[in-house]
Amino acid sequence: MKAKDLMDPNPTTLHPSDTIGKAVECIMDKRYRQIPVVDDEGCFQGVFGVNCLLRMVLPKAVMMDKGLVNVQFINESTSDLHRRLEEHLNDPISKCMHFDKMQLSPDTLLVETLLKIYDTKSSIPVVDPDTQKLLGMVSYWDAGKCILKAEV
Amino acid sequence: MVEHEGATGSIIFGLDPLWYAGTLFVLTYIVIMTERINRAIIALLGAGLMVLGGVLTQEAALQGVDFNTLGLLTGMMIIVTVSKRSGIFQFLAIWSAKKVKADPWGILVMMMFVTAVLSAFLDNVTTVLLIAPITLLITDSLKVSAFPYLFAEIMAANIGGAATLIGDPPNIMIGSAVGLGFNDFIFNMAPLAVALLPATMIPIYLIWGRKLTASDENREKIMNYCEADAITDKRLLWQSLAVLFAVMVGFIVAHNIHQQPASIAMFGAAVMLLLSAWPRSTGEQSEDLEKTFAEVEWITIFFFMGLFVLVHGLEATGILQIMANSVLDLTGGDPANTAIAILWVSAIASALVDNIPFVATMIPMIESMEASLGGPEALEPLWWSLAFGACLGGNGSLVGASANLIVAGFAERAGQPIRFLHFMLLAFPLMLVTILCSHVYIYFRYF
Repeated sequence: MKAKDLMDPNPTTLHPSDTIGKAVECIMDKRYRQIPVVDDEGCFQGVFGVNCLLRMVLPKAVMMDKGLVNVQFINESTSDLHRRLEEHLNDPISKCMHFDKMQLSPDTLLVETLLKIYDTKSSIPVVDPDTQKLLGMVSYWDAGKCILKAEV
Repeated sequence: MVEHEGATGSIIFGLDPLWYAGTLFVLTYIVIMTERINRAIIALLGAGLMVLGGVLTQEAALQGVDFNTLGLLTGMMIIVTVSKRSGIFQFLAIWSAKKVKADPWGILVMMMFVTAVLSAFLDNVTTVLLIAPITLLITDSLKVSAFPYLFAEIMAANIGGAATLIGDPPNIMIGSAVGLGFNDFIFNMAPLAVALLPATMIPIYLIWGRKLTASDENREKIMNYCEADAITDKRLLWQSLAVLFAVMVGFIVAHNIHQQPASIAMFGAAVMLLLSAWPRSTGEQSEDLEKTFAEVEWITIFFFMGLFVLVHGLEATGILQIMANSVLDLTGGDPANTAIAILWVSAIASALVDNIPFVATMIPMIESMEASLGGPEALEPLWWSLAFGACLGGNGSLVGASANLIVAGFAERAGQPIRFLHFMLLAFPLMLVTILCSHVYIYFRYF
C-alpha cells in the first residue's frame, strides 16, 4: 500500500492569487485544517490553513520567531482579533501561505505516510516528484478508512 | 622572528611567523566580516591554524584564552536565562508603559530608560531580545510605527551597556584583561552614559516625538494589559531578584575580597540553578538544566575562544607591538592625543565592523604602549577611550552591534523592516555626537 492508494485524488485547492477572505470561507465552511495551493498548471505551491489564519488574527509579537512566550497579560476581545483579520481579507493568500513543502511522493509506503501524518497532525499533499503536480491529499480519515477496510 | 615565549618557533614550510600570523589574522577577519560562514567557525578555524601552523603551542594557545571573560559571560547568561522565565522583564516593560498612561512619547522614553538600565546589568543582546517583542506588541496596539521605538532602544542598549563592566562584551574583555573592576567602570563610564541617555532623546524627539500620537481607544488597550499577569512564577521572581542583587553586590566588593567577576557570576549562576531546581525530581532538574544550558549563547563563547587564540598568536609574533609603536609615532607619544585617537578610531571601526574582534586586537596593542607612555596608570584613559569608542560606536550602523541586528530581525518579522541606509543616516551622526561628548569628557576628566 502506497500514498497514491490512500489519497483523495480530487481535493479542494486554492490559487496563490485567491483572497484570504475566500480561503477563510472555504476553511470555515468545510472545516479543513489546511488546503493545498496550486498554480495555473496545477503545480503544488504550498498550503494555506488554520495556522495561517491564527497568525493573522493574533498579535505579530506573539506569533513571530523569538516573540512573546508568556501572553497571559494580553487582554484582547474577539472584536480585536476580527478587526485584525479584516485588514487582510482582500490580500492574496500568497502573502501568508506556508511555503514549506511537506509532501509525499505517490510511491511513499504506508508506514512512512502514516508517520508523516502523525508528525504534521494534518493532511499531506501527494505530489508528482518530476512535474510537481498535485495528485491528491492524504488525511487521517483516508488512511483510517483503508486500514479498517483491510482484511485481518 | 618569534618574540613571545608561547611561540614554538617551528613555523610550517619555514614561513616567516610574522607574515603567517598576520596573513591568517587578516584573512580570518575578512571572512568574519563577509558573514558568509558563522563567525565562531571561522574564529576556531583561525585559532586552529595558528596552533597547527606552529605560531603557538597548544599550551600557549590556552594561556591566551581569557577564561575570566568567558566565565563572566556564561555565568550572566545562565542567570538571565533562568530569571527571564519569571516574567520580570515583561512586567517591567508593561508597568512602565502604563505609568505614562500609554502616551506614545512617554512610552518611548520609558522604554529607552528600561532598555538602558537592563543593558547596564545584562548583556545588550539579551536586553533587546526581551524588550523588542513587547515593544512591537505595544506599537501594534497603539497603531504607531515601531521604528522610532526600536531605533531609540538600540541607542539606549549601547549607551546603557557602556556604563558597566558587565553591560557590553568589550567592557568585559577590557575589564578582565586589565584588571579593571565593576566599580572602576561605574566611576569612569557611568557618569557619561547617564548624561548621554537624555541627550540622545532630544534629537529623537525632534525627529519623531511630536508625530507620535495614538487614539484613546488604542491607548486603552495598553492600559488593559495586566502587568501582574506577566509574572509567571512568583517564587522564581523573588529568587531571581535576590540572586541578581547578590551578584551585583558581589561585583561591587569583588576587588576587596580578592575575587574575579567570573567567579562571582558563575557562583551566582550555580545558586540560581540550585534555587530554581529545588525541590523538583532529579529527572525534572536534568530536563530544566538541559534547557537552560541550551540557551547559553555557545556561538558567542566559542567565537571569543577562537579570537583570543588568534590575537594571542598575533601578539606572540610581535606585530601588535609594531602597530602600537606606529600609533605612538603618529600621536607623538602624547597620552591625550593617543587616547583621543583610540576613541575616534574605535568608534568608527565599531560602527562598521564587529566590535568584539576589534577590541580583542586593541587590548594587547594598548598594553604594549605601557612602557612608552609611562606605566599602567598612564594607560587608564586609553582603556576608557577604547570602551567608549567600542560601545558607543556600535550605534553607528545596523551591523555595529549584535543587538542592532537582533532588533532589525524582529522588525523584519513584524513586517516593518529597518533599512540599513535609513538607519545609518540617522544613527551615524547621532553616534558621532556621542563620541564628541566622550572626547570632551575624556579630555577634561583625565588630562
